[in-house]
Amino acid sequence: MSPLAALPAMLAAVTAEPAVEPLAQAATGGLVGSLSSYMVVSGVLFVLGVATILTRRNALYVLMGTELILNAANINFVAFARFGGHGIDGQMMALVVVMLAAAEAAVALAIVLRIFHDFGSIDITRTDSLRD
Amino acid sequence: MDFMFVLFAGLALLGGLVMAFHQSIVHSAFGLVGALFGVAGLYWTLGADFLGGLQVLLYVGGVTVLLLFAVMLSTRDSTRLAISRYVLVAPVVGIVGLFVYQAYLGVHAVVQGFGATPGEPQPTTEEIGALFLSPDGYLVPFELVAILLLLVLIGAVTVARRGQDADAETAS
Repeated sequence: MSPLAALPAMLAAVTAEPAVEPLAQAATGGLVGSLSSYMVVSGVLFVLGVATILTRRNALYVLMGTELILNAANINFVAFARFGGHGIDGQMMALVVVMLAAAEAAVALAIVLRIFHDFGSIDITRTDSLRD
Repeated sequence: MDFMFVLFAGLALLGGLVMAFHQSIVHSAFGLVGALFGVAGLYWTLGADFLGGLQVLLYVGGVTVLLLFAVMLSTRDSTRLAISRYVLVAPVVGIVGLFVYQAYLGVHAVVQGFGATPGEPQPTTEEIGALFLSPDGYLVPFELVAILLLLVLIGAVTVARRGQDADAETAS
């Protein structure tokens, strides 16, 4: 009988919780520096990287956009590992990504220099001789 | 910690905006420096001290110098932002942004259940070193990255040099 009597109070607590929690979070400054705020920063950086890749015709801009996208993904790895209680695994993944990004940058910049040497330009819309 | 988060997140976003929208490629490269440094600061606020240091060393110090050298050696054509191209691409970027936002909402619902507040950040360098060298940790990725870096070193030199040799042969 007592569980049934307590049910309305529990229901009220459950339904009231979502309305109260964000306010309490904002009041204590919990929203800034929370997992959500890291996700927002990461998402905005990702979109900026995609916009850079799509709007420029210079190959170096494409590389810079790629680096920004990789960094946005890395923020998520580290933030989820920290707030999700996964210890240090996210940081290990981010470390490997940073190393691979450095390797990618070295090879890609060498290729850019070759393209500039062969085509006289690094406009990515002009390197289309394979089309012929 | 909140102040540091706002500082570094602002730096990262400002750098990203400068990179994406500035007309000059050198300014864009320095915007990327700011963004990468901001991301390193975000790592520090997340308690990843070693990763933040590596980010500064490898990205801010290394990749950006490479990038600026490539800018000096190769940019002759216009780097201007083509407005017509931007108008064309804007819907695509908007759709990608919406997709990211939807993913954020979906993950956010799951994340609310975590509820745990993380503890005080601890120094991570020793643990990272031990994990990278233990067979039940990350030894295999570590060795693979080592081999890959050697291949990249040789490959980058080969790719960048080959044309010069050919030129020397045709010239002589």
